[in-house]
Amino acid sequence: MKILLIEDEPELAKSILHYLSVKDFVCEWANSKATALDKISSYEYDCILLDLMLPDGNGFDILKHLKAEHKTEGVIIISAKEALETRIEGLEMGADDFLTKPFHLSELQVRIQALIRRKNFKGNNVVGFKEIEVDIRSRTVRVKGDQLECTKKETDLLLFLMGNENKVLSKSAIAEHLSGDMADMLDNHDFVYAHIKNLKNKLREGGASDYIKTVYGLGYKWQHE
Amino acid sequence: MDLDINGSMNRKLLDQTLRTYLLYSIGILVVSAPIFYFISSSLYLNETDEALLLHKKEFNQLVAPFLKRDDVLIWNKYNRDVKILPFRLLRRDSMFNKTYLDSLENENEPYRELNAIVTIEGKPFVYSEKTNLVESEDLIESVVWLFFVMIISMLAGLIAITKRLSNKLWKPFYQTLDLIGNFEIDKEKSIEWPESQIEEFNRLNQSISKLVNRNHQIFKTQKEFVENAAHELQTPLAVFQARLDVLMQESGFSETQNEILNSLNENLSRLNRLNRNLLLLSKLDNESALQREKISIAQRIEKHLEFFHEQAQPKNLSFDIQLDTVREIMANAALFDVLLRNLLLNAVRHNQTNGSIHIELNPNGLCISNTGKGTPLSSDQLFQRFSKSDSSETGTGLGLAIVKRIAELHRWSIEYKFENDLHSFLICF
Repeated sequence: MKILLIEDEPELAKSILHYLSVKDFVCEWANSKATALDKISSYEYDCILLDLMLPDGNGFDILKHLKAEHKTEGVIIISAKEALETRIEGLEMGADDFLTKPFHLSELQVRIQALIRRKNFKGNNVVGFKEIEVDIRSRTVRVKGDQLECTKKETDLLLFLMGNENKVLSKSAIAEHLSGDMADMLDNHDFVYAHIKNLKNKLREGGASDYIKTVYGLGYKWQHE
Repeated sequence: MDLDINGSMNRKLLDQTLRTYLLYSIGILVVSAPIFYFISSSLYLNETDEALLLHKKEFNQLVAPFLKRDDVLIWNKYNRDVKILPFRLLRRDSMFNKTYLDSLENENEPYRELNAIVTIEGKPFVYSEKTNLVESEDLIESVVWLFFVMIISMLAGLIAITKRLSNKLWKPFYQTLDLIGNFEIDKEKSIEWPESQIEEFNRLNQSISKLVNRNHQIFKTQKEFVENAAHELQTPLAVFQARLDVLMQESGFSETQNEILNSLNENLSRLNRLNRNLLLLSKLDNESALQREKISIAQRIEKHLEFFHEQAQPKNLSFDIQLDTVREIMANAALFDVLLRNLLLNAVRHNQTNGSIHIELNPNGLCISNTGKGTPLSSDQLFQRFSKSDSSETGTGLGLAIVKRIAELHRWSIEYKFENDLHSFLICF
């Protein structure tokens, strides 16, 4: 999966590149509008991560360019500009998703996965990990073919964990992912523990191996032994 | 007259001027009327006395030398007003007022009388002449009336003219007052003054304009500063967050190091929340016209309930929800959600174990109450930015400020009450 990161802040770019350098991602980086346009015309990408404020121009120009060239790349805007208008404008101009800085890299990773899934596997909405399968559309979880009764939150949590395989996820990253719009106000992240515990129990009862590891004092990790 | 806040009387400028004029005029009138009366009557008396003396002189020079003593009787018979009386001792010519009965009209009438010594054929007699003063009294009365009418009409004219002129003259001043009174620094840029012909008012307006502009500039700078600061913080925060996320993936941390990382994470998360709320608040401060749509309050509340039920579980809170009223309002849906979430989260956050939360939607408005600390909160400070009831709290201290600002933008009223051990927030739409 090829990803183009258009971001002028080198420290942030380096971290994103590092985090995304997992088995099926190939990441490239452009730090200006000119380099980005250059790369877009030379290569095909599955996903473009676009910062709106670039030293030599506005990220919207790149969106316009993609639209004019009938490119099919999925675009996630990563911007410090949060205003609703910017968000709507970006989505109207063909962006697929919008992530406001600062964000957790784990969040970015699952957004990229979701986007690529939507783009590439039309009709196939099942995410699997060994004996576990999650149908994204109907939000059902199956273990070895048998359906598990999971709440919406637990399914979300499962997808988030699976999407960040082998990554340590902090409690706050999980809490912010699960609370969505509430994240800006919620100051108590203890509810994560209850969800993790419930999910673990349900998976175990369903006959799945225990992939959720607790990283003491820090968070959780989805890991295959 | 208006009563101001302190209860003391405030007089209007125009009334004050007129009052002074009126008092002065009345004073002059009261003092001058009797003086005028006395002066005119004494002047008239003087005139009469002079006339009497002149008559006596004429009598002495023109009549007395030719008058016989025997003619005195006849003289007295045919002269009503000038009599020649037998001699009695008079020091000198004496003049006095005396009342005589008028036989024709049968009433007493005032007279002025002159008694003097005259010599007829070498023998002294008393010359006594009297002049009726009735005419003079009538005259004085007429003059005084005339004077009164003149003064009164002059006064009335003065008041009318002053009033009209002052009203016209001071009109720009009152317009200025109204304009300043209605000025809202967060909405308007400057004040449009009406043209005035009077230099002082134009100067006043210019000075106020300068003041307003300067204040507006400061206000704008301050607003922009908060917004810019929050914006500028986002990139370093993003770098911080990303670096931390990467760092966490390193293996081989000790438990202590993990705890430090966790604390960094939590605090960074808090910093992010603070920053986003600051951004939201400064955005709300800059907002004047909201995009509104029709929303159902009950639906909006129900949408959030699952989340708050979950948040309430650790404290084992019970919910008492009465959403009987079907109420649709015009509101900005996103902001209404922010308001609801803040209030509900507050109700959970400041609650006690086994406490309760009451949500009641009635025709009056929406009331969200919760159990908690047994003492009322200071409703003055409650809605202020960065006010926290206790410093151990992890909230941003901006939640209620945001709630208040959203209510203000929608022109809803919001109040806090502490009744029956319940902290309540009531919003009237």
